[in-house]
Amino acid sequence: MANRRVLVKRRKAVRNIRKITRTMQLIATARFQSAFSRAVATRPYTEKLAELAANLTRTAGGGATHPLLVSRDQVRRSALIGITSARGLCGGYNSNVLRAAVQHLEELKGRGIETDVHMVGKKGIGYFNFLGREMVEERTDIDDRPRFEQIEPLANELIGRFIAGEIDAVHVAYMRFVSTSRQQPELLQLLPLKQDGAQDDAPASTAAVQYEFSPDPAQILDELLPATVRVRLFQCFNDAAVSEQVARMVAMKAATDSAEEMITSLTRQYNRARQTHITMELLDIVGGANALT
Amino acid sequence: MQNVGEVIQVIGSTLDAQFSEENLPAIYSALKLEVKRTVLGTTTTETLWCEVAQHLGGGRVRAIALDSTDGVQRGAQIADTGGPIAVPVGEETLGRVFNLVGETIDGRGDIEVKKRMPIHREPPAFDDLSSKTELFETGIKVIDLLCPLVRGGKAGLFGGAGVGKTVIIQELIARLARFHSGYSCFAGVGERTREGNDLWLEMQEAKIGDTGKRVLDQTVMVFGQMNEPPGARLRVALSALTMAEHFRDQTGADTLLFIDNIFRFSQAGSEVSALLGRMPSAVGYQPTLGTEMGELQERITSTSGGAVTSIQAIYVPADDYTDPAPATAFTHLDSTVNLERGIAEKGIYPAVDPLASSSRILSPELIGEAHYAVARRVQQILQKYKDLQDIIAILGIDELSEEDKITVARARRIERFLSQPFFVAEQFTGFPGNYCSREDTIRSFEELCDGKWDHLPEQAFMYVGAIEEAAAKAETA
Repeated sequence: MANRRVLVKRRKAVRNIRKITRTMQLIATARFQSAFSRAVATRPYTEKLAELAANLTRTAGGGATHPLLVSRDQVRRSALIGITSARGLCGGYNSNVLRAAVQHLEELKGRGIETDVHMVGKKGIGYFNFLGREMVEERTDIDDRPRFEQIEPLANELIGRFIAGEIDAVHVAYMRFVSTSRQQPELLQLLPLKQDGAQDDAPASTAAVQYEFSPDPAQILDELLPATVRVRLFQCFNDAAVSEQVARMVAMKAATDSAEEMITSLTRQYNRARQTHITMELLDIVGGANALT
Repeated sequence: MQNVGEVIQVIGSTLDAQFSEENLPAIYSALKLEVKRTVLGTTTTETLWCEVAQHLGGGRVRAIALDSTDGVQRGAQIADTGGPIAVPVGEETLGRVFNLVGETIDGRGDIEVKKRMPIHREPPAFDDLSSKTELFETGIKVIDLLCPLVRGGKAGLFGGAGVGKTVIIQELIARLARFHSGYSCFAGVGERTREGNDLWLEMQEAKIGDTGKRVLDQTVMVFGQMNEPPGARLRVALSALTMAEHFRDQTGADTLLFIDNIFRFSQAGSEVSALLGRMPSAVGYQPTLGTEMGELQERITSTSGGAVTSIQAIYVPADDYTDPAPATAFTHLDSTVNLERGIAEKGIYPAVDPLASSSRILSPELIGEAHYAVARRVQQILQKYKDLQDIIAILGIDELSEEDKITVARARRIERFLSQPFFVAEQFTGFPGNYCSREDTIRSFEELCDGKWDHLPEQAFMYVGAIEEAAAKAETA
């Protein structure tokens, strides 16, 4: 067959791809370690803070209805933070998050609610641009090592707008890191803070503990609740960062494997084509020689 | 006074005969001898036709036997008929089945031969050829869109073993012959005898349009199938062609000529070539491969007197299109329909390769801007999909950009939409045959390329006609 050169070329291309995917896999594995320790390190703080806020809220009694806790009857405008990656080659990571985000947007739109989209990560921005959806903010400065200083202003801005009544709800679409083998796209309601959600996090035994407060609970809540929101958002970013690396590891592993498989099959095809060609030439020579004698 | 010689050597399906030097039969002359064959005590006498292929010197000629040489003895008398094999032509051949020497083989008795024509003739003169170019609608979407047939032109169906060449040629017979006012000729060259029989029975049942006339009554069939020796397979196409030529020249009507399978002609030529002692050329084919093909193909042409539209199936050995036999046939055709195993494996029939198939008339001046633009768009989308396939195989579909994802989704729909239910395959697919007019085809594919039907599930595009049927299928599913 005359397509031997094509086969060689294709095999070369696949080999190059394999080189890239294997490298990406190794890099993702290394980055996963650090991202994982960061996410795990912030988690106890996030959980304790949520627990404390929940406790306080309960202790402060039903009277202390802090504005960040009250869910509004009529939602006219909401905000959505979408957390996606800056780079590709991570399998279905971005498309899963974006699917959840778009689904949420469609649902809100169905209920006549307008949504301000704050998109983080080049992939999400690209996708929304492609869909022709509007975004109020596009951020590409947050990479796979999110720093609290980067998140804080965003959280503060949203808290401010929420309290001012410009928006009535804030959601975050991100990939929640459950375990190394399980991540799931999640739509977290950041504002108003969900109390029952906080209660779930807090074990029942600690919930009963009574504290004495100074200054009074309401005042503490004023400090504590915004902090909870900020930390929770930060946790989302940390989770997303780990999930991204895990997704990349898995995707690149699969890619390397299938590239290898393809190389094997291409090599086999090439060898066969080469052998066919040799046999054919031999036959021609032998046939010609026989015909002459 | 008959010129009689003597058989001096029999080598497989060729034989040498001794004539006198003065009365040497010319090349292509038909020789005739009586062969006695004794089977279980019963002796029958049969006529064996041979054709002079070489002059060996000293009054000896080497001839190709057009039937089995069993029972031929050295010293047997062999007579020169003084001219090439001639087959009966004209209206009285219609509705009948012949072998290559023009004997009926359908068991309905002999015909009254009014006129015979030699099977070896010169192709029409240079200035006699017709330059008309007109699309020949088949109602098969993929063919009409991407490799339209030319009225009065030649079309080739290329394909490896078992990808559906014969089915397509039978389908085209069913579609074209049924709505065709002129005559049709069918040449069965070295294919299964059963297929010839199927076709014959089917043609007896099929009616032309609503005239109530049988398709068979407008058709001549000539068979030299697999069971025949190479000499027969080498000449049977010429016999059918001679009959078709006569219809063209005499009636001036459009004549259809179907040949299944032209590769067997080359193959038989190669077998004969070896027996004639020629040195094999590339891949063991005869050195005269190009000449033989040229002599046959150049005669299949439209003249100012009338048109012959021919459709030929061409077997591609080991799916290798660079094999000399299909490659030689390739150059002669106006329209090439390539059948691809990979597509047949997906269960998409007709398994036409939309990227490899092409037609001479696929140009905006001949078929119109709209048709051309849609055909090219379809090919672009499919080409893009093909280019992306390695990436999808390695990295997965998620890594593609959003535009590419849409291209892939659309390409997969187009791929499926290129399938179509056939009239002759109704009993296999369970779907009734479908005729899709060219306007419908162009419109359907244009809408598909525009993304108007992206919402339908892929499965809905399988085995439907125009695009509305896909929508209907999606609803019922």
